[in-house]
Amino acid sequence: MTSRRPSISPSFNVVATYHSLLKHDRDLTMPIAAIESLILGLAQNSSTTVSETLDLVSKLTCELKSGVANPISLSAGTDLFQQYLLSNLQRARGDFETAREHLVQNSRLFVERAKAARETIAGVGRPFIRDGHTILTNGGSRVVGTLLKRAAESNDGRGSVRFRVIYVVSQSGEAEEKETIASLRGSGIEVAEIPPTAIAYCMDMVTSCFVGAEGVVENGGVVNRLGTYQMATLAKAAGKPFYVLSESHKFVRLYPLGQYDLGIEQKIVDFRTAKVEEKDGQKDEGVADLESGKVGKGCLPGDQVDYTPPKLISGIITEGGVLLPSAVSEELIKIWF
Amino acid sequence: MPSVMLAPTPGIATFLKHLKHNPVDASIENFVSLLKRRQIRSSRPCAIATTHLLLKVVATFRDRDVAKLVERIRSVGQQLIAAQPREMAVGNIVRRVLGLVREIAEDDADENPDSTSMGDSGYLPYSNLEPSGLPTHFSNFSPPKHGSALPQKSGLSQSDSNGGDDNSGQGAVAVEKQLDRRPPLLTSHTSYVASAMAPQVTSLFGLLSHPHTPSPTATPPLGTQSPVMKPGLTSRVLATIPDASAAKVDIKAEVLEGIRELLDELDQADDQIAAYALDHIHSNEIILTHTSSTTVQRFLLAAARKRKFTVIHAEAYPNDYLETHATIMQGRQKSAVGDDEDERWSPLTALGITVIMIPDSAVFAIMSRVNKVILSPHTVLANGGLVAAAGALTIAQAASVHKTPVIAVSGVYKLSPVYPFDTEELIEYGDAGRVAEFQDGEMVESIEVVNPLFDYVSADLVDLYITNLGGHAPSYLYRIVADHYRAEDVNL
Repeated sequence: MTSRRPSISPSFNVVATYHSLLKHDRDLTMPIAAIESLILGLAQNSSTTVSETLDLVSKLTCELKSGVANPISLSAGTDLFQQYLLSNLQRARGDFETAREHLVQNSRLFVERAKAARETIAGVGRPFIRDGHTILTNGGSRVVGTLLKRAAESNDGRGSVRFRVIYVVSQSGEAEEKETIASLRGSGIEVAEIPPTAIAYCMDMVTSCFVGAEGVVENGGVVNRLGTYQMATLAKAAGKPFYVLSESHKFVRLYPLGQYDLGIEQKIVDFRTAKVEEKDGQKDEGVADLESGKVGKGCLPGDQVDYTPPKLISGIITEGGVLLPSAVSEELIKIWF
Repeated sequence: MPSVMLAPTPGIATFLKHLKHNPVDASIENFVSLLKRRQIRSSRPCAIATTHLLLKVVATFRDRDVAKLVERIRSVGQQLIAAQPREMAVGNIVRRVLGLVREIAEDDADENPDSTSMGDSGYLPYSNLEPSGLPTHFSNFSPPKHGSALPQKSGLSQSDSNGGDDNSGQGAVAVEKQLDRRPPLLTSHTSYVASAMAPQVTSLFGLLSHPHTPSPTATPPLGTQSPVMKPGLTSRVLATIPDASAAKVDIKAEVLEGIRELLDELDQADDQIAAYALDHIHSNEIILTHTSSTTVQRFLLAAARKRKFTVIHAEAYPNDYLETHATIMQGRQKSAVGDDEDERWSPLTALGITVIMIPDSAVFAIMSRVNKVILSPHTVLANGGLVAAAGALTIAQAASVHKTPVIAVSGVYKLSPVYPFDTEELIEYGDAGRVAEFQDGEMVESIEVVNPLFDYVSADLVDLYITNLGGHAPSYLYRIVADHYRAEDVNL
């Protein structure tokens, strides 16, 4: 693995770094963790020329993408990073070294900016929530949690808003969801927890739906945890607006034509018969990879994703404002041109 | 016209007269009271009145400082918008003028050698970039900053889009591009298009970019900047412009020129829209429309010169039916009241077009025979939806059941960059006495009667917008918003 690439110091394992970053900082999103891992990789390996750096970055990126089961979200970060480097280097007036130094030294800054984006989004999305509204949300999104918490607070001059929340709680019941629910309840907001099977049942009393995103794809659709597509379809059928909250660094250059076209393998639908067959360890593997050390994030039911097409989405709330799904591709084109 | 004994009905004509003879502040007061009393209503008169007013405001502005001019226009704008928030055309014009001023100021800043120096605190690069340059690039492509809490209250508001966003290796490139692209203002009032299209680094890179200088204030872009940024930005730039008073006078003259172009645009909007009529109306078609809108009538008249078709006209009872009857029967005559335009146009029937007038309740019944629906909105919103006269939603929904195309015709001045967070707020309510007469004591006592004047039609019910710039899909409107308005002006 790493021994094939002489320019990388043998001790640097980008996949392990990525996973450990995610584990240690719960507030980090996958694209940012990817960018940080790449930066750490850059820091560890001195490269003095432009092409060496670009080469290094692309090698690290490949390694990262092949080592993680669902690389969609992190590829948003790696693509952004690569394109940024390319465009920076094209324009640099001989100052490659400073650019590199800046990147290496300021990785903390990028993380802070990314986290700050969450607050900005909460500010942008706040007017959507008004008195008497009932909000339906899928769990697991930190941005949505921030939005709801800010709306519940009464210290920003607009007064608090009296609204209710219906939280769709998955079986895996992540700690983050419980924490958000607890804090909302603590602020006096009524929160109901429902299983995913009750979404259609409760849809009539819902005013609007908010979900987060793991990745926003080129046509304005969203890749998010399994169950989002279901919620979006039901919301559309009931005529309720469905909003996606996402930082702009999650825009990924992918154009899926359907659920099964995401470029990742998820064994969500696994046919079997009563006949006993031995399939060799094929349960929920990610992209085919023979590395034994791989944890295989795709295994866990909590990490499965689905794709929500843009026609079901009423608006994408980013730190730059509310975007129509049709506006996403323009943003992506600008960094790729 | 009115003799000495009869005072003219207050309206746009009286306002324009008043504007000619009175100082600016008095005119502002006059306009505000006209707006509040709804003596001036509907988008076009309001837009025209606002433009004239701003023309005078700029003309009488004595100071040399462009930043102060921006402030002055903003404060006037805030007064006007507060007077009647539902007349979005007023806000649109104010924002257009502000965008115009900013663009001229930036173009001017470019020409001066000082302004290309970027040794500064990193603010300069913002201004040197194209108008929809880095700091606000991202938000320009959104139905952006709505009229709410965001940028002022949350200290982190524009941080990510703005902060440290000047991939300043760009500075020189950006300046050059800007000089190349500086559109001669005279060619088109939609000249913002060119500058907005800059494929420069976007705020997606804002996450990673760094300011040119290592100054600690510039590096962390969080929090500190946004409220200060907007006015500070221009003034800092302009502080570097040599105080040749010739430069400043130029700016004012250019702004005035730009505002006059805006007036021209308002005048010609209907004509430009009507130019597209032949593309959309074909022989023997049955077109459904409602209300007495001038834009629609001119659109149909342009097609009627060459084609024969039928128009089914819903009368829009109770708010507009008398005008609708008059429009159908007589077209527009030179009205005694002295309307904003003195032009006359003949009714469609005079050109041999069959016009069938139907009550609003018959819309659904007749919809299966209709080929196209043409609506004229009061306001077009940034998400592609529109606010139109009451009855439009019924028509649009009936059309969607029958899969009939719905076309909305409006000038770009009706397109508002403010994102409609609550569509209920956009609906104005009128005189309930038109629905159920107050003389009907029993009715009035036991029933609550409301008379909404407008309907909100969502974007998925509209198929095409025909503006003076051509036809667009509702999903494309965000681009037009970005081309005409600056994100920093959305919150006035």
